[in-house]
Amino acid sequence: MSDFLLELSKNPNARNVIKSLGLPIPMPQALARARGPWEERPLANQKVVVGVSSGAQLAGVIAETLAKAGADPLLAGPGHDEALWQAPGEAYGRPATTLPDPAPERLIAHGVVMDATGLSTPSDLGALHDLFHPLVGRISRSGRAIVLARPHLASGDPARAATQRALEGFVRALAKEIGRRGATAHVIYVDEGAEARLPALLRYLLSNRSAFLSGQPWHLTASAAKGGGTDVEVPITRPLEKKVALVTGAARGIGAATARLLAAEGAHVVCLDRPEDDGPVSQVARELGGSVLLQDVSAPDAGAKIAAALREAHGGVDVVVHNAGVTRDRTLAKMKRDKWDMTLDINLGAVLAIDEALLADGALRDGGRIICLSSVAGIAGNMGQTNYAASKAGIIGYVEALAPTVAARGITVNAIAPGFIETRLTDAIPAVIREVGRRLSNLGQGGLPRDIGDLVTFLASPGAQGLTGRTLRACGGAFIGA
Amino acid sequence: MGNRRAVVVSGARTPFVRAFGKLLKVDTIGLGVSAVGNLLAKTELDRTELDGIVWGGVILPGLAPNVGREIALDLKLPYSVEAYTVTRACASGLQAITNAVAAIERGDADVLIAGGSDSTSNAEIKLPQKVVHAMAPLAFGKATPGDVLGVMSQLVPISEILPKRPRIAERTTGQVMGEAAEEMARRNEISREAQDELAVRSHHRAAAAVRSGRFDDEVFAVELPNGDRVHTDDLIRADTSVEKLERLRPVFSKQGTLTAGNSSPLTDGAAAVLLMSEEKAKALGYTPLAAFRSWSYVGVDPGDQLLMGPALAMPFALERAGMKLGDIGFVDMHEAFAAQVLAVIKMIGSKAFAKERLGRDEAVGDVDMEQLNLHGGSVAIGHPFGATGARMVTTVANELARGDKETALLGICAAGGLGAGAVMERVS
Repeated sequence: MSDFLLELSKNPNARNVIKSLGLPIPMPQALARARGPWEERPLANQKVVVGVSSGAQLAGVIAETLAKAGADPLLAGPGHDEALWQAPGEAYGRPATTLPDPAPERLIAHGVVMDATGLSTPSDLGALHDLFHPLVGRISRSGRAIVLARPHLASGDPARAATQRALEGFVRALAKEIGRRGATAHVIYVDEGAEARLPALLRYLLSNRSAFLSGQPWHLTASAAKGGGTDVEVPITRPLEKKVALVTGAARGIGAATARLLAAEGAHVVCLDRPEDDGPVSQVARELGGSVLLQDVSAPDAGAKIAAALREAHGGVDVVVHNAGVTRDRTLAKMKRDKWDMTLDINLGAVLAIDEALLADGALRDGGRIICLSSVAGIAGNMGQTNYAASKAGIIGYVEALAPTVAARGITVNAIAPGFIETRLTDAIPAVIREVGRRLSNLGQGGLPRDIGDLVTFLASPGAQGLTGRTLRACGGAFIGA
Repeated sequence: MGNRRAVVVSGARTPFVRAFGKLLKVDTIGLGVSAVGNLLAKTELDRTELDGIVWGGVILPGLAPNVGREIALDLKLPYSVEAYTVTRACASGLQAITNAVAAIERGDADVLIAGGSDSTSNAEIKLPQKVVHAMAPLAFGKATPGDVLGVMSQLVPISEILPKRPRIAERTTGQVMGEAAEEMARRNEISREAQDELAVRSHHRAAAAVRSGRFDDEVFAVELPNGDRVHTDDLIRADTSVEKLERLRPVFSKQGTLTAGNSSPLTDGAAAVLLMSEEKAKALGYTPLAAFRSWSYVGVDPGDQLLMGPALAMPFALERAGMKLGDIGFVDMHEAFAAQVLAVIKMIGSKAFAKERLGRDEAVGDVDMEQLNLHGGSVAIGHPFGATGARMVTTVANELARGDKETALLGICAAGGLGAGAVMERVS
């Protein structure tokens, strides 16, 4: 399971030798990942450069978010409204300073954030070049580039639509350019009225809990009602306090990592796996102080049994993570019907059945979360995975359709599409193919199970209320996929 | 109970002296003995009236950490004078006093002495844990030569067993306190000039207090083991000026603004106050000086702005006293660093800070610099960690009793991200 090149790249001498010899070996940058539970100030003492387009609308939100997260803001380029930066700077002791032009030679910034909401015509896009061109080399290892935008169709103006949509292409390409040093890029499309939901996502993407996500558009909406109907402030630390979370397939791999991370943020985690996996799943549950539910998710009465068990023990559930899944790979020509059925039953059919049961009797509480595991295979298809790809693409359609039906209750429904993640599943891939799979992403390496767990945890948190009906890739910007 | 009020009757302290200087030979217990002994002598208190001692200290002697009790025993006070020792970093002295006030107001005691002391000069050098663990076989019973050899063989390489010098660094972050204050200066945009000006004013005011005899009733000589006596504070510089201070080099960071001149120095000293219930004071014929209307202790993230605690604790203390900053006669703040005082004052004056950090619509208020630290502060007078709280309470109580101000606000920052605030009032 160990990635030889990644281990080698951690040795500075080896790095230098390979670099100076000019060997054609890709040297992935080890990603900075967070330790311990969510911090109050994930960006403590990090420099973040901020640029704004004229007519930009989100600079105030950026100012507030950066100051609270502990970042030192540097204002680049024209058009800044200094008044917006005054109060947060004073309250948190993070005064914004103006970045000299040209930038000081030794400047290395953790992040560059651009509020591009004001860009309306293709010629305005020059502002992207103005801001990023001089700074692209100054983004640190495991740094971040983030562009804020408005949904391109919102205004009905074709020129503005073209301009705002252009940002996605820019970010995807930028992600490939800066990925070699472990840095990532994102664009966040913020609906009118969803501005209050931006800080949590911005904080998350700038933090090193989003290490393996890159080159992706995020769409924030106000469609899901406020969680639980209450107007409470979104908690910054221990966001899952008093929440009950169900994780299927929690015995190992992504499920176990996710269960640990959810528990670390205060959730009581019900670890579900097959009765045969009693040993490992019990061990996980014991370790994190959760409970065990032994159930085959594809059994006909699984949904009813799970709903009843959650109701009885906890009065309901707040977060449901459909992680249990199988692969039964064969080319379609050679695939037996039972392999097809098993894959679709567990990966897709069971998810629908369990959710139906949880929603029907109200076991899933208001403000709840449904988080499904899709796959980049479901987006792009994989040789020998017709069954698997069908099941995982089905998940994408499912979350899109389910989300609006539960939005009024404040429940969000999303899917995560992992790329190459170092697990038992990917360990079984033949060595050469595995090596290619690892390298074929912007970051040049596979992700860890916790990278998926980190995204699950964010989606489970109250701050993620603005994301629903989406499939989010966690693939390091895989070469394949959308 | 319920309506009992504790009053400050009197206070006394040793001279505050540069560490590793004239008081080198007197440890923290000895300094405490001097301060408490002089307080008893000055007030002519009948020793059988004293119920107990509450003492504050930061660098506690490892073999006798209950400094308060050692002081009572060394002074040959009645064995019934119970004692305990508290530690809350630089707020230890104030903590000892508010503990005593609470005990008196609760009816647990009538007469208590509270204060604190520290002798940086006598900080113990710590042996690394590796040595302590390796020596375990020698700690119990009679060691055989084999045991000794076994222990010695574990104590290589030598670099790992060298004793460690104590540092004033945060255990969780490793940050030295001066670096934290430097960070606060940068983040709150506190200039070098403003810091130097505050430091100069602190020295000039302390010097004026000494000159006018204002401290004569507060500072009493310490007798050294060789019979010599140390009479006066030795850190106050009457002749300092902004021109002199601006020549000093930054000490915590090359591009920094904190210097030896605008930071409080390592200091040896002790201070103590005599507290009684109001009735008891009346019965014994004492004239009370002041009382506590409220206090507050807070904690903040030591990794953020380590010394900003008073910016929260002072407003909370005011709130508990039912007062606004504008109602306060004067303010006395512990000057760990001029930069830290100025940063806290800036926070208190900021509407944005009040909104985000206190959940209030209006700023706490602007501190009138003329009414801040009327007789100087820790930058000039010095800062024996545990003693500073009792020094401040003594000076504030005397000022309230003599001057025309009714109330005073105290603020102290402390290691670990702690802060203290208190409101004192005149008793008439």
